[in-house]
Amino acid sequence: MADKDTFTVLKFRNRPWYIWALRAVWFLWVLFWAEVMVGSGKEAESIAFVISLVIFLASLVAGISLWLWGYLKFKKART
Amino acid sequence: MKRRDFFKFGLGGTGIALGSGLALSTDTASMAQGRNPHGHPWWVKKIEVPKLAIDNKVYSRFNSRKNVFGSFAQYYGMDNLKELRKRSREKTRKYYEEDRPGYRLEDRALADAAWVISRLGGLNRGTRSWTSKSVSTPERRGVERYSRSPEEAARLIKSAARYFGAATVGIAPLDRRHINSHERGKEIVFEPADEPYENDEKLVIPDTCKYAISLSVQMSLDNLQCSPTAISSAGSSMGYSRCEFLVAGLAQFIRGLGYVAIPSVNDLGSSVAIAVDAGLGELGRTNRLITPEFGPNVRLCKVLTDLPLATDKPIDFGLIEFCRVCKRCAEACPSGCLSFDDEPSFQVKGEWNNPGHQAWFENSPKCLAFWQESTSGCSICIPVCPWAKKDKTMIHEIVKATSAKIPALDRFFNAMDEAFGYGRQKNARKWWDLNLPEYGVDTTQGKG
Repeated sequence: MADKDTFTVLKFRNRPWYIWALRAVWFLWVLFWAEVMVGSGKEAESIAFVISLVIFLASLVAGISLWLWGYLKFKKART
Repeated sequence: MKRRDFFKFGLGGTGIALGSGLALSTDTASMAQGRNPHGHPWWVKKIEVPKLAIDNKVYSRFNSRKNVFGSFAQYYGMDNLKELRKRSREKTRKYYEEDRPGYRLEDRALADAAWVISRLGGLNRGTRSWTSKSVSTPERRGVERYSRSPEEAARLIKSAARYFGAATVGIAPLDRRHINSHERGKEIVFEPADEPYENDEKLVIPDTCKYAISLSVQMSLDNLQCSPTAISSAGSSMGYSRCEFLVAGLAQFIRGLGYVAIPSVNDLGSSVAIAVDAGLGELGRTNRLITPEFGPNVRLCKVLTDLPLATDKPIDFGLIEFCRVCKRCAEACPSGCLSFDDEPSFQVKGEWNNPGHQAWFENSPKCLAFWQESTSGCSICIPVCPWAKKDKTMIHEIVKATSAKIPALDRFFNAMDEAFGYGRQKNARKWWDLNLPEYGVDTTQGKG
């Protein structure tokens, strides 16, 4: 029976502990600015909203880009 | 990993993080409730005496006739005042014709209407009467008067005060020097008496009244941010009207327990000095109270009583250090009445200030003159203060807590506050489109 089932396998590459710590810091940083952005919107503080939106988006894009860059570099090195 | 799985994983992680954050904040709230439901945030320190010193040889009771409202014509000059009023009338007319936002008929009608409850009371008049014939006293009910411990009584009073609309409440032993020496041309005296009373010569407070309950009422920051317009004026007047309801209700409640209660808003004595003693906040650069929860965005009132109550202590949340480097209120003040001095001092600016205590004293006649000049009062110093926030995002709490503990960062926080656009004037026309909460204030703010 088990042979007929399909599985999704998540693979986590071994990384030094500080890489995970950096990722956690980045995640919390992005989450923090998302919260500031939403709160500033509720407070009708337009400048604070725009600044926190820019920081949020910049942090998000920078983090994802860095992750993708590392991923592609690793993939290229393997092939 | 497939893209869909990546998103699932990402959303799951976010959910866990948000969930644990919420759980943590709920836990903290309930812990705070269990400890002291009427306390300040954890970063507020209790101290024995207020940080700004009092010179006991000089500080004494103030004659209310000398305050800026009582003697404005004398301080400003009668001819200047006539000219000022004429200019104010002309400007009012001009603003109507221009249909200027914040100065239109509907704006002015709102400001006027928001005063309506406040006008029901005055010193020992109407809602602020020192006695009440309608109260059902314990005597009338045929029972003994309330006689639990001062700690229990204080908790009772604070809960009742919140119920009647107080944002924060504190209790101080009554320092009689905070009570005016004269009001309406009559001397205010403390005498042995069962009840407070007034005759042709004097206003008598029973000398058993040893406690002052200090109360703050939130104002709508949405209104105040439109300062100086009639919309911001409506925010102040609504604050006063809510004070009126609060002190009337609380005083009647205390009388119902069988004790004397003297309700007061701006009359009778210094609400600010009493609030500092009761630990509601600290004296800021505006020479007004700044609270840790709402900054200066509050109106103050008080009730004097002989009900034995456990008292609170003054507080320190690093405000004096913050005001030293901030000066945003002084920079924003259109009349230039606020002090730019680095340090608070004992040097008063005029007879309108009560000497004998350290403060950043203000030039009150300049302030009041601008109220006429603007045609609708002014409260710019309130919304520009970095401590006045709606607290819809945790960054404010983090900044306030850090400022309280690490004053070296105050200059940076002030610069950031300005860069993020806080304290800028809002468009009074847009105020009418807001989806406002009751009374224009978030009553859950600052409640842990």
